[in-house]
Amino acid sequence: MDGSELRTNTYLIRPNYQHKFRVGVVEKCIREIQREQLSGVQYVSEEIPSLSLSLANSIKNRLKELGFNRYKLVVQVVIGEQRGEGMKMAARCFWDADTDSYAKDIYVNDSLFCVAAAFGIYYY
Amino acid sequence: VNYASLCFCQTAFVVDEVSTIVKEAVEGAIGGNAYQHNRVNQWTNNVVEQCLTQLSKLGKPFKYIVMMLAHVIFFHLTLSVPLNSNLHYHAEEWSWFADSLFMFLGQHHRWYDAHRSCTVRWENKSMYCIVSVFGLSI
Repeated sequence: MDGSELRTNTYLIRPNYQHKFRVGVVEKCIREIQREQLSGVQYVSEEIPSLSLSLANSIKNRLKELGFNRYKLVVQVVIGEQRGEGMKMAARCFWDADTDSYAKDIYVNDSLFCVAAAFGIYYY
Repeated sequence: VNYASLCFCQTAFVVDEVSTIVKEAVEGAIGGNAYQHNRVNQWTNNVVEQCLTQLSKLGKPFKYIVMMLAHVIFFHLTLSVPLNSNLHYHAEEWSWFADSLFMFLGQHHRWYDAHRSCTVRWENKSMYCIVSVFGLSI
């Protein structure tokens, strides 16, 4: 948040429908970014940390452009090598179910898999 | 009595407190068990539920997201083959993979305001699990 802008109080404790965290829209956005950045990419261990960080940053920036002004965003990206191993991911949240939500997508190619989850938490 | 530090603890995301909660939840749910495919669901649910109930009992003005990842270790260290250079290579390989997985999760958290998130990595001989907790102040 910029300290330089003066923000007046809106006293909104619920988002308008247009500004709500819409799961379909966000899922589509995540899927596009994953396709763009990961198609044809091979798993090379040295490059994966920066790749996952750049993926998380792109998703975060794209979500900010979508206009979720009152939302705090948490983006988590996990990239792993595709070896036929077992992996289980679970998330549970303590939040306000009316206003907060999450979207996730899974991208798999023959050398890696990528799980990206974006959470949107309304800031009252 | 240091009133300033009292107030801070009541409204702040204290990483040590949260990581203790997470470690206890993982130990309690998974403990000394080896990886069993049909129990992973139950374990992850238990860990995440336990973490969340304990966190909400803290009564702090935060919304929480708890994420858990459980991964089976592909190369078991207890193979009944003679120790040779191959086995050593395999052992190094999985721990290196595990380290890089943890590293990019760790980097991610440092970027997004490390004070409000906490990542705990727990492992035993057959699996490792990584639990991340995000605390978002309301």
